Amino acid sequence: MIHFDNVTKVYANQNRPALDHVSVDVDKGEFVFLVGPSGSGKSTFLRLVLKEERPNSGAIHVAGKDLARLSNFKVPHLRRRIGCVFQDFRLLPNKNVYENVAFALEVIGKPRRFIRKVVPEVIELVGLEGKAHRMPDELSGGEQQRVAMARAFVNRPMILLADEPTGNIDPATSIGIMKVLDRINRTGTTVVMATHDAAIVDSMRKRVVELEDGKIVRDQSRGVYGQAY
Amino acid sequence: MRANFIFSEVWIGLRRNLTMTIAVVITVAVGMAMLGVGLLINTQVSMLKTFWYDKVEISVFLCTKGSAIPACNGKAVTPAQTKALEARLKGLQGVKEVFYEDQTTAYDNFKTAYQGSPTLVEATRVEDMPQSFRVKLVDPDNYQPVVQAVKGQPGVSQVMDHKQLINKFFDMLDKLSFYALAVAIILVLAAALLIGNTVRLSAFNRRRETGIMRLVGASNLYIQLPFVMEGVIAGLIGGVFAAIILIVTKVLLFEEIAGYFGSGMAQLGWDSVAQTITVTMGIGVVICVLASFVTLRRYLRV
Repeated sequence: MIHFDNVTKVYANQNRPALDHVSVDVDKGEFVFLVGPSGSGKSTFLRLVLKEERPNSGAIHVAGKDLARLSNFKVPHLRRRIGCVFQDFRLLPNKNVYENVAFALEVIGKPRRFIRKVVPEVIELVGLEGKAHRMPDELSGGEQQRVAMARAFVNRPMILLADEPTGNIDPATSIGIMKVLDRINRTGTTVVMATHDAAIVDSMRKRVVELEDGKIVRDQSRGVYGQAY
Repeated sequence: MRANFIFSEVWIGLRRNLTMTIAVVITVAVGMAMLGVGLLINTQVSMLKTFWYDKVEISVFLCTKGSAIPACNGKAVTPAQTKALEARLKGLQGVKEVFYEDQTTAYDNFKTAYQGSPTLVEATRVEDMPQSFRVKLVDPDNYQPVVQAVKGQPGVSQVMDHKQLINKFFDMLDKLSFYALAVAIILVLAAALLIGNTVRLSAFNRRRETGIMRLVGASNLYIQLPFVMEGVIAGLIGGVFAAIILIVTKVLLFEEIAGYFGSGMAQLGWDSVAQTITVTMGIGVVICVLASFVTLRRYLRV
């Protein structure tokens, strides 16, 4: 599903590569934690998958597509198959829960009938039934993140990328967020989650890929966050 | 669905930058109106030229009794002098035709020309009107030898070349159209910059929305279209105002000029006005689209 082959990324005006000859394979339906300190290259990894950045060398395949050969014109179609969740939720403050989720479908031109059918289903999946007409500022952080997950998942992507989704949320609420991610993973969606949260990684017992200074230092299935932390 | 979404976005964008939008509308309106006026004057001038150059002639006025022109010495032209002049004119190279206009014909023409002021007509008698020769030339541009040949001859009071008179007027119109077009170009440039700024502000105001649109895979066209439409709509509203200004100009300026020339002059028709409005609107919209796209490429990474 995601295939990195010897990928190196150096940002302009920086000597040290953000990713240094990284090779990794993520299969369909896998749940992968991407761990490592700040600046270790986790976000760069996610941005490369979205083709928001281009690697300096190496090949990246996502959902069977060679990103180097994917024309800019087709990048939006790639992104429709990838859902994204961020630490800061990125909801539209002037739209309610339903509208925020529906927005993702409206802007890719889905018919209104389809939107009316699937949006309530997804809102229920993330556990926000009955709150469809709340505005984001009326919701707790955990609830806002659930809206963001609903928006990321509403188009049934093949891959869900989560960049520290529990970073702004207290540990008790984080468990609920992880349950939703697990539920999404069980529908067959590949989930890649970058995180600092050792407790969550340890409790989930999923595959762990650890980055340090842009290099993969550990890749183990059913791993934990690591002894050093 | 799609159109609905885009138009609501466009409306929000226009309302958020209301003052900027007004500035764009005014600049586009004045710029396009100037462009239109310049084009209309050009059309009018070329129409007048074809109309008048066919009719250009040289008038050789002959002395009347008590004429104030020094060359006449206050004496009327004698029939012998008239005969000699006619022969001389007909013998010149480049002369196509020579008409003789006697005092009665001149008086009739004068009466029709000054119908509007009966006091003037009443005060003028047939004897006051000068006899004249009207000379048509093979080449209207080559009037100099003919004028030189009859000027100062006995019995000639004045030689008038119509082309010189008309050219002065055409030169004035040409200058007017040149200045209108120059101002139009400056204003069009200003409009393009203003539109660029408006679009940049809009893109900044809506960076959250566009960021999410990018993320969920909205196509570039879908993301950019509301911004481009914003520019186009502002440009179109400006174009409508420009059209109104052009229609008013046609009524107030060109029909005034036509009235000044009298009936029978080639008039600028509504079809030319419509054509000019279409052209200016087209140019306005194209400029808006270009300015928007160029700005978006810089400020809205897709």
